[in-house]
Amino acid sequence: METFVQLFLRSLETGSIYALASLGIIIIFRTSNITHFAQGSMGMFNTFVVTMGVITLGLPLWLAVILGMVSAIASGCLVDFLIIRRTKKVAPVAKQIITLGLIMIFVGVIPMLFGVDPLNLPKFISSGEISILGASLSYNGLLNILLGFGILGILFYVLQYTKMGLAIRTTASNEPIARLMGVPTRNVTLFAWALAACLGCLAGVMIAPTTSVTTNLMDAVQVNALIACILGGFQTFYGPVLGAYIIGIGKNLLVYYGSSVWGEQILYLLILVFIVFRPQGLIGKKIVKKV
Amino acid sequence: MKNNSIGNPIQSKPSFNNKMASFIKNPYVGFILFGLLLSLLPIFTSLGVMKNSTITIFGGVLIYTVVAIGLNLLLGFSGLISLGTAGFMGLGAYVSGYLTEQVQIPFIVAILITLIIAVLISMFVGFVSLRIAGIYLAIATLCVSEILRKTFEEFDTFTGGFSGATASYPTLFGIELNRETTYLLLVVVLIIVIVLTHNLVKGQFGRALHAMRGSEVAAQAMGINLLKYRLIIFALATAYAALGGALYMHFVKFSYPSTWILPMSLNILAVVVIGGLRSIYGTFLGALVVFAVPDLILKKIPVIGGIDGIAYIFNGILIIIIIMFYPQGVIKIPNDLKKLWKKITKKGGKSDVKKG
Repeated sequence: METFVQLFLRSLETGSIYALASLGIIIIFRTSNITHFAQGSMGMFNTFVVTMGVITLGLPLWLAVILGMVSAIASGCLVDFLIIRRTKKVAPVAKQIITLGLIMIFVGVIPMLFGVDPLNLPKFISSGEISILGASLSYNGLLNILLGFGILGILFYVLQYTKMGLAIRTTASNEPIARLMGVPTRNVTLFAWALAACLGCLAGVMIAPTTSVTTNLMDAVQVNALIACILGGFQTFYGPVLGAYIIGIGKNLLVYYGSSVWGEQILYLLILVFIVFRPQGLIGKKIVKKV
Repeated sequence: MKNNSIGNPIQSKPSFNNKMASFIKNPYVGFILFGLLLSLLPIFTSLGVMKNSTITIFGGVLIYTVVAIGLNLLLGFSGLISLGTAGFMGLGAYVSGYLTEQVQIPFIVAILITLIIAVLISMFVGFVSLRIAGIYLAIATLCVSEILRKTFEEFDTFTGGFSGATASYPTLFGIELNRETTYLLLVVVLIIVIVLTHNLVKGQFGRALHAMRGSEVAAQAMGINLLKYRLIIFALATAYAALGGALYMHFVKFSYPSTWILPMSLNILAVVVIGGLRSIYGTFLGALVVFAVPDLILKKIPVIGGIDGIAYIFNGILIIIIIMFYPQGVIKIPNDLKKLWKKITKKGGKSDVKKG
């Protein structure tokens, strides 16, 4: 029982990270109609900024994270302003390829700006454990879980009950008509890109202490977040978040009770099989094609 | 060769000229000439005109061209993206390396087995993801490439784990090849692949693909089974990728898991986008730009050349710029220049240049 609770808590921690990243992807997908493959790379880039803030500038971590957020907002806005805004007439596939090009740019810039050595980012709370139902959880893990829930809660409140959220939701459901109705869709997409970059940066900062900060810091997060989007369905904002937590939990359980080497691969295969039977994902309407 | 007669145009009768023109315009002749041109490279290096390492670079370009032609079919005709290219290349590399080194199977048989395995896997992945929407294939293949990467790292009795696997130059019909002759083998394989692809695209299969590209709904109404054609084309792309991987294994002679990751897939995608969709020579040009230009030119530029990752940034920016401003790709540049030239000469009021 204790191991199970322990696993569950750990899973919530990884699930939070995936959830933040996948929420960024789904917001971009819904507002700009782009599958955002560069979410991980942009998060990785901004995590590097945070790490440099801590190491080179000697800032405390929270200040460095704020610096990272600023750079995330800047990079998100820049991408939207320079590229995405000018590709209204480009086919969806070509837009995907543009985000793939973004990956190449962000990954390529890293050695130029930050060097090639792997760096280390400290945890928010370096030590201390809390015991929940006999299972131990580090304070940092608890913080990550709460942070994940908190940010997701705030964002869903914003999406559901504020004017900005309404603007995002109308843009998501039909961009041209939203524009006709006076929704400033340009600002909405700009906001969406900045927000996605921030979420990616947060996910990066949360996962960085468990490994070292390198260019492939976010590869696993990116893959899992995309799969979470498939699992949860592309039609709602909360589906992918749910999918992310399911992946986090399922992965840890399979790795622990199944096979430490093949657990992850089995999970991916299960999800692929799941899509065969329910193509629209866990939550989501059937996509009806109109001629 | 008849080509020598191009040099003396005076005696040539019109009928012969026509024959000559149709001979040159015949795509197969073009492909063979292209192959001959490529196979001149070892002669240049042995004469000392080019550096020896040029063969390695160009061999790489040929391999990536084979792979990219597959992806070009997929992306150009069905608008689908595969991000598993690198994974499937790795699969090809490891399987063929294992079969020839450990099991001691002849090279050609090993390649055939590799292709069959790759096609089977792609059938499964394609069947799962292609039934839904196009975007799912990109994510599903990303997923598969992640699975394959983990497998390359963990399954070390088969792949050698992180330390990688090695192989030797291929042995064909009892003759052991060296670097130069393997390069020639690459040229031959590339030309075979090009001819096969050309025939495929010009035939009934290709017409179905063109119809799909024009309008999926209309194609369906004409009785074209979308899933079937998408599956076939994805399987083809995978087979080309595995073939490229197998060739890589026997040309470069080693393979690490860290080679077969997303950046490789993205570079191949860059080849297709930069070169131009649905163009075979364009794909080769793209491969030159992506894989040879950084090594041959970019690294020699004084200040910028020393920076790590410059090639990657260069390709990324090039992809975005080409998609935004020049979606036909590099292959269309000569055409557009010609048009531009005609425009300029016409505006100048000079006699317009008419081409026969």
